[in-house]
Amino acid sequence: MKPLRLSLLSAAVVCAVAPAWADPTQPLQGIRDNSAQLLAFTGAVVHTEPGKTLSNATVLVQSGKITAVGTNLKIPAGFRQIDVAGYHLYPGFIDLYGQYGVEKASSERSGGRGDGPMYQNPRRGGNAVNAAIHAEQRWADSFMPNADDAKAYQQQGFTTVQSARQDGIFRGQAVVASTGKGLPGELILNADGQHFLSFDPGSSKQSYPSSLMGSIALVRQTLADAQWYQQAYGKADWRLFREPVPFNAALAALGQLNQTGLVFEVNNERNLLRADSLLKEFNLPKVALVASGYEYVRAADVKKTGRNLIVPLAYPAAPSVGKLDDQLDVSLADLRHWERAPTNAGALEKAGVNFALTTHKLDDKAKFWPNVRTAIKYGLSTEKALAALTTVPAELIGMPGQLGRIASGYQADLVVSKGDLFKDGEIVATWNRGVETQFKPLQNADVAGDYALNVAGKALKLNLSGALGKVEGKVQQGEKEAKLENLSVDKQQVQFGFSLKDVDAGDGVALFSGSMAGNLLQGTLQLPDGSQQALTLSRQAAAVKADEKKAEDSTLLSQLSMPNQAYGVANAPQRQNVHIKNATVWTSDKAGKLENTDVIVRDGVFTEIGKNLKTPSGFVEIDATGMHVTAGIIDEHSHIAIESGVNEGSDAVTSEVHIGDVLNPDDINIYRGLAGGTTTAQLLHGSANPIGGKAQVIQLRWGVSPEGLKFKAAPASIKFALGENVKQSNWGDNYTSRYPQSRVGVETTIRDAFQAAKEYKAAWAAYDDLSSSEQKRTVPPRVDYRLQTLVEILDNKRFVHTHSYVASEILMLIKLADETGFKVTTFTHILEGYKTAKEMKEHGASASTFADWWAYKMEVKDAIPTNTCLMADQGVVVSVNSDSPDLQRRLNQEAAKSVKYCGMSEEDALKMVTINPAIQLKVDQKVGSIAEGKQADFVLWSEHPLSVYAKAMQTWIDGTKYYDRNVDMTLNAGIEREKQQLIQKVLKAPDSAKAGSGGEMKKPEPIWHCEDNGDYLDLAFGRVAGAQQHAHQH
Amino acid sequence: MTFKLNSLSLLCIAAFATPALATSPVPAAAQQGAVLLNDATLHTVSNGVLENTDLLMVDGKIAAIGKDLSAPAGGTVVELQGKHVYPGLIALANQLGLVEIEAVRATDDTHEVTDTNPDVRAQVAYDAQSDVIPTVRSNGISYSLVFPAGSLLMGQSSLMQLDAWSWQDATVKAGVALHINWPNASVLSSPWNPKKPEELAKQNAEDLQKLYDTMAQAKAYVDAKKAGAIKALDSRWEAMIPVFSGERAVFAHAEDARQIRQAIALADKYQLKLTIVGGRDSWRVADELAARKVPVIFGSPFGIPDRDDEAVDTAYATPAKLAKAGVTFALAIGSYWDSRNLAFGAGQAVAFGLDKEQALAAVTLNAAKIAGVDDRLGSLEVGKAATVVVSEGDILDYRSSKISSMWIDGRAVDLNNKQKDLHQKYQQRYSR
Repeated sequence: MKPLRLSLLSAAVVCAVAPAWADPTQPLQGIRDNSAQLLAFTGAVVHTEPGKTLSNATVLVQSGKITAVGTNLKIPAGFRQIDVAGYHLYPGFIDLYGQYGVEKASSERSGGRGDGPMYQNPRRGGNAVNAAIHAEQRWADSFMPNADDAKAYQQQGFTTVQSARQDGIFRGQAVVASTGKGLPGELILNADGQHFLSFDPGSSKQSYPSSLMGSIALVRQTLADAQWYQQAYGKADWRLFREPVPFNAALAALGQLNQTGLVFEVNNERNLLRADSLLKEFNLPKVALVASGYEYVRAADVKKTGRNLIVPLAYPAAPSVGKLDDQLDVSLADLRHWERAPTNAGALEKAGVNFALTTHKLDDKAKFWPNVRTAIKYGLSTEKALAALTTVPAELIGMPGQLGRIASGYQADLVVSKGDLFKDGEIVATWNRGVETQFKPLQNADVAGDYALNVAGKALKLNLSGALGKVEGKVQQGEKEAKLENLSVDKQQVQFGFSLKDVDAGDGVALFSGSMAGNLLQGTLQLPDGSQQALTLSRQAAAVKADEKKAEDSTLLSQLSMPNQAYGVANAPQRQNVHIKNATVWTSDKAGKLENTDVIVRDGVFTEIGKNLKTPSGFVEIDATGMHVTAGIIDEHSHIAIESGVNEGSDAVTSEVHIGDVLNPDDINIYRGLAGGTTTAQLLHGSANPIGGKAQVIQLRWGVSPEGLKFKAAPASIKFALGENVKQSNWGDNYTSRYPQSRVGVETTIRDAFQAAKEYKAAWAAYDDLSSSEQKRTVPPRVDYRLQTLVEILDNKRFVHTHSYVASEILMLIKLADETGFKVTTFTHILEGYKTAKEMKEHGASASTFADWWAYKMEVKDAIPTNTCLMADQGVVVSVNSDSPDLQRRLNQEAAKSVKYCGMSEEDALKMVTINPAIQLKVDQKVGSIAEGKQADFVLWSEHPLSVYAKAMQTWIDGTKYYDRNVDMTLNAGIEREKQQLIQKVLKAPDSAKAGSGGEMKKPEPIWHCEDNGDYLDLAFGRVAGAQQHAHQH
Repeated sequence: MTFKLNSLSLLCIAAFATPALATSPVPAAAQQGAVLLNDATLHTVSNGVLENTDLLMVDGKIAAIGKDLSAPAGGTVVELQGKHVYPGLIALANQLGLVEIEAVRATDDTHEVTDTNPDVRAQVAYDAQSDVIPTVRSNGISYSLVFPAGSLLMGQSSLMQLDAWSWQDATVKAGVALHINWPNASVLSSPWNPKKPEELAKQNAEDLQKLYDTMAQAKAYVDAKKAGAIKALDSRWEAMIPVFSGERAVFAHAEDARQIRQAIALADKYQLKLTIVGGRDSWRVADELAARKVPVIFGSPFGIPDRDDEAVDTAYATPAKLAKAGVTFALAIGSYWDSRNLAFGAGQAVAFGLDKEQALAAVTLNAAKIAGVDDRLGSLEVGKAATVVVSEGDILDYRSSKISSMWIDGRAVDLNNKQKDLHQKYQQRYSR
């Protein structure tokens, strides 16, 4: 190579070779660089694209582009030949999810939302209404290459990276850039890359959103707003508004999502499914989801999304099990994930998912290739792996004709590897558009092998193994062995030393320097006395490959269950036809309590109830002699199975958020609820705001998908709240500014929200009445999910369950509801309901209360355990609820307390946890009692169901057995056994596998309470700031 | 003259003797005449269940137990017709009377700051007038061991009887134990305070060291005092003198097996009289606890598993496991108002394998033993305090626990409470 003359400017950014590209608008300083840009790579194993390999092939490159590839190519005159005989050439790799050349997001939050609320985003220019939205950011505009970061990518073979700052929910538009050297503008391959999104508000200090459901709602509203903005901005006729549509750069930028596409990052597989369905609401094409590493758990569901994935290969550190005491803190779920994380890519391939790979999440990019090889060991094919680094990402960013292949016309992005990169190869150089970045000298001699060595009359054996920078060696005499010290191989030059004493050949250290030619290693050995000995060593045999002798065991010890944790089920339970014989049947129906009675369940329905029934053929018989059967327990008020936040406790009205968006079928409390006979629960939003989020009624089907939990027969409902929680009485001194701060403001908040909803409905009606030409000229109303929900209430399509305690607020809401035109379906908690039972009855409201809770805060000072009886006496439909996963395991006992405290009949008491809550949830036609034709949700109790001594022995939903105490009691042993096996595996694992590579275990979800407020997203995304808990309140 | 009453009419007297909608029941006067409980089912705890047996209370003590007893002249006979009589239940380790409304700071005297409060005494903040106390009492609970909360050396507990004018009247035994809030031993990050395991391990080790240092400092003072080398009194370490002498027990609030083992080790070092409070993991170390004769106040008879991998009934089944291993244990519930569910917690343990008699002992005699008052409380025995509870049926089950009367030291306790008052008040709203 001839000496280069570099301009001062390019010297700043260029290391060894002139850039193949130059900015023509850049005024010249000094002498022009017109180096030849003709390259011929010869003799390599060329992997032109996944599944296609040419041996001993030639690749011609001209001005940064590949011009020819073939095995019998003649090297044209003037091409500089690069002899890569024996090396492998791959197309340059593409990472679609990076932060290369852009300002990196901080993982720490400075200050954090826990410091106090921030309800508004300061508006600047055309920024968005929410501080977690940065969609107007076009990261190409500030792209700045960084040599260190570039090298970290190049060392792993990445020549192209798509980047945006990974901060916020809408993170802005990414830039696709080369990792090569040059001016920023020269390196940008696409300034209008994909938009990056996530559910994590990141550095935003705005209170909203504070929950996952809030994040989802914000994405939904923003995508809808972007669509609206396209039709609305600039229109002259804004008759439905008070002023013209203001400029909004964020919404304007999102108007292009259809063209640009988007990349959505998630932190677990459930969020991947959530992101998918959310984006499907807007029919957005060109979506890639950044996987979490947990997708193997629900690979089939992931496949069903039809989405392309971008899969990180960062594996978690092993749980700490080195000390016996540590084991108390280790969960089976984490042990399993530690073992299975490397199977993720293979599992996705097997499921038929299309994906690219990324270095995202790796704590050190140098771990990328070792991790790829681990993934291959656990089922990823090399062909798929190569595709995931080349053709797939090229396709996903719309550059399939420029990137990802070694073919004529493609960009000359090449990876040169000594050996097969997918086995044990090592990247020695990366070429970006015909410019090399070299990491290892290509010309290093291959020295591996055994050599006979004679020192001081002793016959020794020299063994060298490995290649490139990783050569190691030893000298042996018989059993004795000396490790080579200071071993270096540089081009042909080989140097090392070894202890003579270790091999019984004298004292001191002998030093060797020589050079390798073919199979001969010639040089000089200096002995401890200074004397030198000329040696010619002849290679006798090739060394055994290092990894063949210690091939790691890839057998998996962990089970895979749904959910993938202790008590998960290997196979989804199946519906059975059953004949229950000779039980005491509590029908919670007109038939009352029936002794010595049989129940027949067919196809998930109670078909016959009577004495001495004949067992239909093929039916499973259950001898229930001495046992009691009740309908499945129903809980009007629960917060189990909710992910990342029970409250969107930021704004006073959050009717746009939906618990149904964040169902968590992996919550162990589902299983625990079943163990207490609970089959149905209404999952309510918390009580942090007067109008809270939408509720979701579920059935406790353990081992299903989020969607599978939903009780489809239940109509829509919503949580309202009154009193101390919504006026932030117990939130601390930082929370005294949000309206309302008193019960008087609660009334006006709710009244005004409904007035807004009425006006919203009217605006749409007015717009719908316009002629189509008028509609074209007119700014359409904006879809407002918050108000739309309230319209559903007014339209009697969604039903109100309101958290409430004291008489004044109960009466206030009844009056307000009557005046506004909606019904309060259920007052929940309602500890002073006994004071207002008459008015509740007149309004048509029901009541769901605690059996005996009181004294935990001011507004429950008048709570009484006979509340149930007093309300029931006035004709109010009364239930008792749990509001906790603990009480949900023994709602039968909570019902029994009314027998104790106020002498309620036992049948009526049981109805408070069966048919009465069914009435409140408007599912009483389907469940809540044992009657012919109803869904077969039932519990088998060991004793009288209201006795403290009763245990739920079996719990069935829809004719399917989801809990069996006798089975449950056998599970522990298996859990312990599996844990011990995995702990042994951790203990025996190499340090690198123990340390992991940046992957994360799922964050533990707390047990949610009504009033838990603060920043759940900080919890979910692992930040410390913000979280608050208000203990012992409801 | 002998008054013949049945327990129902006694209840009516209790209800109507107080003016309708009284603010709170009036403490009973000292026992005047003898009271004979006739024809009862006596759950003696110390001597099994005695059917159709009578119990005589004289001067605040149980004077006789037997068949066909008769009341001395001037005494009262209460016909129980087979109803169930139990020793008044003892609720251990709660904060009844120390807090009225949890969320209202002004009503909360449960916690003190600093790590070194061996000298603070719970009973002085005990509000005998608390509206909560009668609601607990009316479920058959006659005594409560109240303790001050906080961190490390939290302070001294006191056993209170639940029918009193003042904390002085209420105090049955002061300085029952020094309560230590054992430093955390788990490195599991709480979702509310996410920290790395290494950070938590470091914090745990520091906290434990702090406890050791504090104990060493206290012991040094006590030794120096013995040697006459103290110039000025230290209120805190003065309170440690009975602790090191073994006169005052140490109640270590420890849930985790590692904490429990640490507590045993520290107790060994200083020859402390140790009891474990909480004891979620006590089943994991039950054999050790039995061998060391360390009693447990198990605080979570209704507990939900602490760890995802634990069986759903782990806490429910713990009392049975402790009993099987031979550990002396009592059951306790909650913070204050919810201690009224104590008997049902015992019932829950029965459902999951504990013998009924043992379950009852866990809220009576064993609780008395742990509080150091089993010489006078906790069972129906002649010579012991005439503190008895009458229930229509099995007191451990919701279905049958109907408390009709209670005597504490022979004093007939008014079982009315604020909640019953409110019930009656609003019944009137609807009956007009």
